[in-house]
Amino acid sequence: MKKIVLTTLILSVSLFARINVVASYPYLGKIIEAVGGDNVKVKVLASPKFDPHFVIPKPSLIPAIARANMLVANGAGLEIGWLPPLLKRANNPKVRIGAAGFVDVSRAIHLIDKPKAVSRAYGDVHPEGNPHFDTDPHNVLPIARYIVKHLSIVDEAHADDYAKNLAAFSSRWKRFLGQFDATMRGCRGKKVVQYHELYNYLLRRYGIKPAATVELLPGIAPSSKHTMALIMKMKKMHINTILQDPYHEKKTAKFIAAKTGAKVIILPHDVGAVSGTGTLEAFYNTIAERLCH
Amino acid sequence: MIKKSILLSLAASVSLFAQSELEEVKALLAQQMKVTQALQKRVAMLEKQQKAMKHHTVTHHKKHHPVIAPKPTTTAAYAAAESEAAPTQQTAQTFDQKSFLPDIAVILDGSAVGRSVNNSTYETRYIPGFSSYDPNEEVEIPFNKNRGFNFNYAELALHSTVGPYFDADAIFHLHPDAFEIEEAYITSRSLPDGLRLKLGKFRSEFGRINAIHQHAWRFTAQPLVYEALLGSEGINDSGAQLQWVLPTDTYIMAGVEAMQGSNDVSFGDTEENNLYIGYLKSSIDVGDTSTLLGGLSIAHGKNDTGHNTDVYGADLTLKTALDSYSSIAWQSELLYRDKKHDDGSDKQAGFYTQLVYQYNQNWSGGVRYDLLFKNLSKEPDDLDRYTAMLEYKPFEFTKFRLQYTYDRSGAFGIDDKRKNTSELLLGFTIEAGAHGAHAF
Repeated sequence: MKKIVLTTLILSVSLFARINVVASYPYLGKIIEAVGGDNVKVKVLASPKFDPHFVIPKPSLIPAIARANMLVANGAGLEIGWLPPLLKRANNPKVRIGAAGFVDVSRAIHLIDKPKAVSRAYGDVHPEGNPHFDTDPHNVLPIARYIVKHLSIVDEAHADDYAKNLAAFSSRWKRFLGQFDATMRGCRGKKVVQYHELYNYLLRRYGIKPAATVELLPGIAPSSKHTMALIMKMKKMHINTILQDPYHEKKTAKFIAAKTGAKVIILPHDVGAVSGTGTLEAFYNTIAERLCH
Repeated sequence: MIKKSILLSLAASVSLFAQSELEEVKALLAQQMKVTQALQKRVAMLEKQQKAMKHHTVTHHKKHHPVIAPKPTTTAAYAAAESEAAPTQQTAQTFDQKSFLPDIAVILDGSAVGRSVNNSTYETRYIPGFSSYDPNEEVEIPFNKNRGFNFNYAELALHSTVGPYFDADAIFHLHPDAFEIEEAYITSRSLPDGLRLKLGKFRSEFGRINAIHQHAWRFTAQPLVYEALLGSEGINDSGAQLQWVLPTDTYIMAGVEAMQGSNDVSFGDTEENNLYIGYLKSSIDVGDTSTLLGGLSIAHGKNDTGHNTDVYGADLTLKTALDSYSSIAWQSELLYRDKKHDDGSDKQAGFYTQLVYQYNQNWSGGVRYDLLFKNLSKEPDDLDRYTAMLEYKPFEFTKFRLQYTYDRSGAFGIDDKRKNTSELLLGFTIEAGAHGAHAF
């Protein structure tokens, strides 16, 4: 009897010792799980099925933030429309912006597409640069390192574990990148049109030219005038690929495809966005397969 | 004579001295200029070199496939070496405080209104049993008062972090002929255990819609039951608020507020602070895409007869996301008031229920029904209002709204005549500048 009580006590204590980490998006959840191992309990806020800019700030998300030891955000303005009101209501000084437990992973990335002039006349621009760096698997390791740096501060007792996990994840990921690079090599020189500038990091790295966007301006739906101009441009430049994310309307892309003979490729923007992308590897492999079959 | 010569020589020596100094300074300046020019040349050269190097590394990248970023230790060492070599470039002026400026937003709201009653009649409107018309008192109709064009307000909203312990917010309403402090409060940043404290003048979080600003409402007019029981301002008062997020898996928030109670529609005892408010709010997810938010509130205070007033509120919101940009939201609220006076107590109640369909990022439409179903014994209990709206947002921060209202709740003038009115409104609201995202 005593033994049972003791074991349950110890169990519950060890369970309790796991630190709560909240991630804004699923891909961050996967990286945290990989480097956090058994020491962390991860909760992801946004669903991968929806537009990452427009997550509904459901009050039901607040308790997880209220009890979190650490909150990992994509940053670069991606969560600006939904995370601040949740953070404010969660009343948790540990994960307030500026606290050790608030981790903005965009700080680990060299951001591209930083606008020279910032004005809302150009649509929903991100003054910091393009926040969609998660579509390039080469950004995973810098993010993992940055997360481990902060995990080791928030949960100092397990810093050695995190370092070990990072080393293991690092070699696993480098192996994966070798294979990923080999697949992507076939795509060099390709020209594509994308709905929103979601894949710029990936495209730039592998020498694929993002020629235009289907949407008129960032966050502003396509107009018929813009669509007609785009069709002309695609015909002139011989562009035959349209990269479509899973959450925007697909009518415009299909219309353009019908007029130009281009192919619409639906690319996931995050882990779990389309079926069969439940892990980081599967997510990036799906991108590579669909883009460079 | 001697004096003169001494003076002269003194003057001469001074001018001589000055002369030589001038020469010296001139020479120094020339030298400095040479040095500067040399330095500028060097900088230009170095910049060129750096550009070439960058270009080289980029092409290198392209040729040999991405190189994994250097290990953090080396980066840190590199950064340290760099900081030692060259102090950080300061671009700001000495004692420049620009980076401490608060977030500033400007919200503009205006409308064009067509109404079935003329302006002078509309100004005598009251809700039988709830409010009254007094020809000697100036009427307060905060929004869309005139047939024709209305500029309702320019709202100036400031938000800033004051220090490690408090955030400050100030929201000013600027009307064509008035400056009004809508809200001005500080909020704690670092209280433990899920607690948060707010002090100042603020909109109470009693009920669902009371704390939400007009520019974020889905219909242009305040719900009828709020107007009837709490007046056009709602509960917006000086006081203190303490909120607690319970450490549970389900969202439960409990809040208490102590306020001055200057709202004279329900409270308004002027002898001392008289209003105490408490509420409990909770939210659960229903399936993957639906969220339910419910709340129970109570406001207990003293009215201008020195007796107690209690207002009870219950609210429920259900929002279902159809995709990233499309949703259906159903929101209802019921308010019940027990207002005591010398001859007994008045029990009155009403509710509103609204359904808003967000079709896509640009278009949404909705309907609302308002009813005051419990009134004083001799007053009507069928005071209701129907509203329908269509909203177009060409961009996130720009809103145009077409709204039709059929109102059966008003009586006009001193002769107690109930009269149904209809109103067609085309309004615009814009949010410019740094405005924080709205909550659920």
